[in-house]
Amino acid sequence: MVRTKIARIGIPVVAGALLLTACGGDDSGDGGGGVTIGYQGPLSGDNVQLGVNMEYGVKLAIKEANASGDLDFKIKYKAVDDQGLPEKATAAAQKAIDDQDVKAVVGPAFSGPTDSASPLYTQAGMATVSPSATRPDLTEKGYKSLLRAVPNDASQGAGMAAYFDKKTDAKKVMIVDDKTDYGVGLADVAEKELKAVGIEVTRTSAQQKTPDYSATAKKVANSKADGLIYAGYYQDAGPFAKKIKEAGFDGIMMSDDGTKDDQFLKLAGKSAEGWYLTCPCTDPNVDAKTKKFAADYKKEYKEAPGTYSAESYDVTNMIIEELKKAGPDVERQALADALAKAEYKGLTKTFSFDDKGNLKKQAIFLYQVKSGKIEYQGSIEELTAS
Amino acid sequence: MSLSEFWDFLVLGVVLGSLYAVIAIGYTLVYGVLQLLNFAHSEVFMFGGYGGLIALTAWSPVTSPSGFQSVAYVAVGMCAGAALGGIAAYGLEKVAYRPLRRRHAPRLVFLITAIGASFFLYNLAGKLFGRNAAPMPTMYENKKLFSVFGADINITQLLILISAVVMMIGLDYVVNRTKLGSGIRAVAQDPEVASLMGVDIDKVVSRTFVIGGLLGGAAGFLFGTNQQVFYTMGFLPGITAFAAAVLGGIGNVRGAMVGGMLLGIVENLTVGFWGDGWRYVGAFAVLVLVLMFRPTGILGERVGRTA
Repeated sequence: MVRTKIARIGIPVVAGALLLTACGGDDSGDGGGGVTIGYQGPLSGDNVQLGVNMEYGVKLAIKEANASGDLDFKIKYKAVDDQGLPEKATAAAQKAIDDQDVKAVVGPAFSGPTDSASPLYTQAGMATVSPSATRPDLTEKGYKSLLRAVPNDASQGAGMAAYFDKKTDAKKVMIVDDKTDYGVGLADVAEKELKAVGIEVTRTSAQQKTPDYSATAKKVANSKADGLIYAGYYQDAGPFAKKIKEAGFDGIMMSDDGTKDDQFLKLAGKSAEGWYLTCPCTDPNVDAKTKKFAADYKKEYKEAPGTYSAESYDVTNMIIEELKKAGPDVERQALADALAKAEYKGLTKTFSFDDKGNLKKQAIFLYQVKSGKIEYQGSIEELTAS
Repeated sequence: MSLSEFWDFLVLGVVLGSLYAVIAIGYTLVYGVLQLLNFAHSEVFMFGGYGGLIALTAWSPVTSPSGFQSVAYVAVGMCAGAALGGIAAYGLEKVAYRPLRRRHAPRLVFLITAIGASFFLYNLAGKLFGRNAAPMPTMYENKKLFSVFGADINITQLLILISAVVMMIGLDYVVNRTKLGSGIRAVAQDPEVASLMGVDIDKVVSRTFVIGGLLGGAAGFLFGTNQQVFYTMGFLPGITAFAAAVLGGIGNVRGAMVGGMLLGIVENLTVGFWGDGWRYVGAFAVLVLVLMFRPTGILGERVGRTA
């Protein structure tokens, strides 16, 4: 009696489950030898804009490749959301790994998630090409899967220091980090490089989402520093910039690629004026080489490309290029090996990797907020040369 | 730290503390009448922030407002914040807690419901309003007004301070001098006897929630004006304000004010001395110390027995 009851309930449940998985498979392009490019980044949570900037770049590249007719197979897209949080990153990575069609992943977007997800990807032999994870030590940990298609924070910190040294007469710089992997990593490098050129450095931290930045801002203003570096993301840099202005700080203010987003301008309002922002990224809207990309992007998504949109687009095209050579049935590991050796000339730069997975040529660019816009100033190497 | 720096951080502490105090009142009032730790109050606060934001965005302030316009913007934002806070608190009581009271659910169920409601509400806000933070539209140019012992005070700070003090005095009057206040105190002291004496308990509880919600909503607007509005903005101030309520003696309205002020000041002095990383270490060390010697909090009484 009991047994029949179980059977009666069980059969439809199992059948339903099978049906569901079949449908799920269809979605991600099953049906024998589907090829999917994954993307891992924050698609919800507090820094979602940075994730969306990149997702659109990836999607655009895939769409154009499918439309071009050069491929004899279709490429599908699968996004896994890590909210930019290390603790969510392993589950997100597992989702990408479990989908057998996913051949390579663009991302993870942030440094913390990259650190926690990379052991899984390495084990699965799946290449992850991150257009934005900049924490220096990520490529020192032997993650074979990780290719970092962006100059790391060591270069960014060095760029900041070089600018302070050559182009300003700052004697004392205060560095405020946001206690994230990314912020602290960048702040450490900047501190070391500034001290190396003989500039005095004081450090303090303000945790993300601090309910009131007034006290930290006052501390900076009272410190008599004539330079300030904020190492963190726009969501906190915005209110911090406001409070810094209210506290009456009048030195040189600089932040990083996590802040270089129009959201920073929105949150800080007039207080964003004058901030310098460094970024390993060029500005796709200004650079002649990326103007067409910017126009296509705007047409497709009704917004201008943001930070790392163009880099994500490039990286995706690099993967597509290798897929084209290797064919749709390529093993994950084989594709990873091919990518590690590849040299690809993208819109933003030429991508090729050293044996640790770092970009061979690293350039940092400087921006400044002027009359409500993030204006491109040029590469720091060139700016400090004169 | 020099003396002038001490004054800098003290002033910042008083400003932040007065906001904590206003939020803490919401926790303490509800605890007074229901012995319920309403953890969803932090979300009421967050909705207050969005209330002000939505009203002001809809009105779209001009870029350089005149003095009169500035006052109007602030008034509208504050009223909208308080209104949405009040509505959220009213709905919360009606939907989440009243059915449980009808069924005489055990305390633990209330607590879990409160936490569940909090999760629900902030995720709902994330869906409705988006997950990007948003700044409050500029209502005035935040100029420096005057200095106290070398510590500058700007418009936002003065606005927060004055609004908080007015709200606290108003609330103190309502609780101690009006009919509704005596109802609240009666229910807090002994619900059964109060209902025998003709107090409509449901009405009193509902109104208590609304009062807490109005204050929390206004505080949310002020908080948003000071920094920015985002869907998880309630979490940290909410926890701190709850701690402030306990510190002052939970259930005691004046205690919540004292507790909030004290925590705000300790937090900012800690940041001033040691940096932001120590913010909560300092504040919660004080909490533990006080509770070791006065387990019922600084003022240590309940709503019913004040007055």
